[in-house]
Amino acid sequence: MTPNGAIVFGLVVVAGAMLARDAGLAMLAVVCIAFGAVEIQSRTLRALTWSAGIVAPLAAFMAVVWIGIVGRAPDEIAAGVTGSRTAAMAHVLTVSGRLFLVALVVQLVISRFAHLTPLQFIRSIAAPVTVKKLTVLTLSLIDTILQAVDRARTALIAAGVVTPGFSMRNIGHGFILIQTVWLSVITIATGRLKDKWPAENTLARLDHALSSPSVPLGCADLIWIGLAAVASAVAVAVR
Amino acid sequence: MLTTPRLIVIALCAALNVSLGTVVYLIKLPIYLDSIGTILCALLLAPDRIVGFVCATLAGLISVALIGLLVNPFYPWFALTMVAIAAVSAFLTAGGAPVFRARPMPVVPFAIRVVLYGIVTGIMAAVVSAPVVAYLFGGVTGSGSAFIVALFLKAGQQVLSAALLSGLAADPVDKTLQVLFAALLYRATPVDFIKLVRGQ
Repeated sequence: MTPNGAIVFGLVVVAGAMLARDAGLAMLAVVCIAFGAVEIQSRTLRALTWSAGIVAPLAAFMAVVWIGIVGRAPDEIAAGVTGSRTAAMAHVLTVSGRLFLVALVVQLVISRFAHLTPLQFIRSIAAPVTVKKLTVLTLSLIDTILQAVDRARTALIAAGVVTPGFSMRNIGHGFILIQTVWLSVITIATGRLKDKWPAENTLARLDHALSSPSVPLGCADLIWIGLAAVASAVAVAVR
Repeated sequence: MLTTPRLIVIALCAALNVSLGTVVYLIKLPIYLDSIGTILCALLLAPDRIVGFVCATLAGLISVALIGLLVNPFYPWFALTMVAIAAVSAFLTAGGAPVFRARPMPVVPFAIRVVLYGIVTGIMAAVVSAPVVAYLFGGVTGSGSAFIVALFLKAGQQVLSAALLSGLAADPVDKTLQVLFAALLYRATPVDFIKLVRGQ
């Protein structure tokens, strides 16, 4: 399977999940689990656990609001009827199921290409070179900023400007940390732009590395995209 | 339009959007700082509004995609919100760039602009986010504002209008803080870097 095929598969599943309800969502979940079983095998369980973990707090929050506080479903509010907590629970389950599918398909696609470096993954997707280049530069600068955050935070803690845990001083002085990080990163970026990258010909090399044509969709891509499209169409039809 | 220094600024501002979440986490600030880079990008390119809009939008969309892949799979649904923030920043907030850099700082005009631009940005963000909050999340996103939504729903409001009213209550405050931080970062940015970015 190619990254482009996996991305299209993910988009089709997400589109289907947005339009589907209970039975349709279950059908799309089956397609996703089958995708996981074939493409990433044992890591499917990890993807399922991760997705459940990210949706669980949201579902709990929704349950408190819809079942605990509001006590009726949106349809019932729209119709102006008294409503029931059972209908509210059904609404929470549908929304949670939809969110779970979105999280799961993203995680499955990421896990499928976990063996690739970010540069290899970005190089293989079908997108304009400028967008690919921006994404690579951004990933590089995120690391730079996170390192600057570590350094600045340590220095400001040592200077007594901020504290390691929550404190009123952090609320008052938090911006000093942000400003310190920003100025550090600007200095680093300007240095790279004026001296380091021209000397190493970095940007031209990056252009060359990213301008290779993307891999065309293969047989496995078409099968999974087709399955997802059929499942989405059926899910919408049985809505 | 997309010169090398501008590409660097877009990447820098996108990285700032993604990374400031880490700062918020480390120092436990009770706010979101996920659009500061977008607003700052528009300010850095202030004289040319169209370039500012394009670059701020790119910075916003790249950060949305990366946050979606690395941290929060539901974040990309708010991509249009980021475009709206980029538009307000480029066509409105950027107008305050000379005041934001004036020395000594003109406190009252500075504060008035920050509050005005923050409120407008917040209203735009709330209006654009409301359909996503209502439809994808069923009105509840897991933040404290969910209880404001619950109050409106309890009072008989529809999900969409409850999500909109909740957003209108919470977003202007958050976005005012973000405009303030972006303006202060813009103010602190070395003039050489700004000239480099603007091609002056």
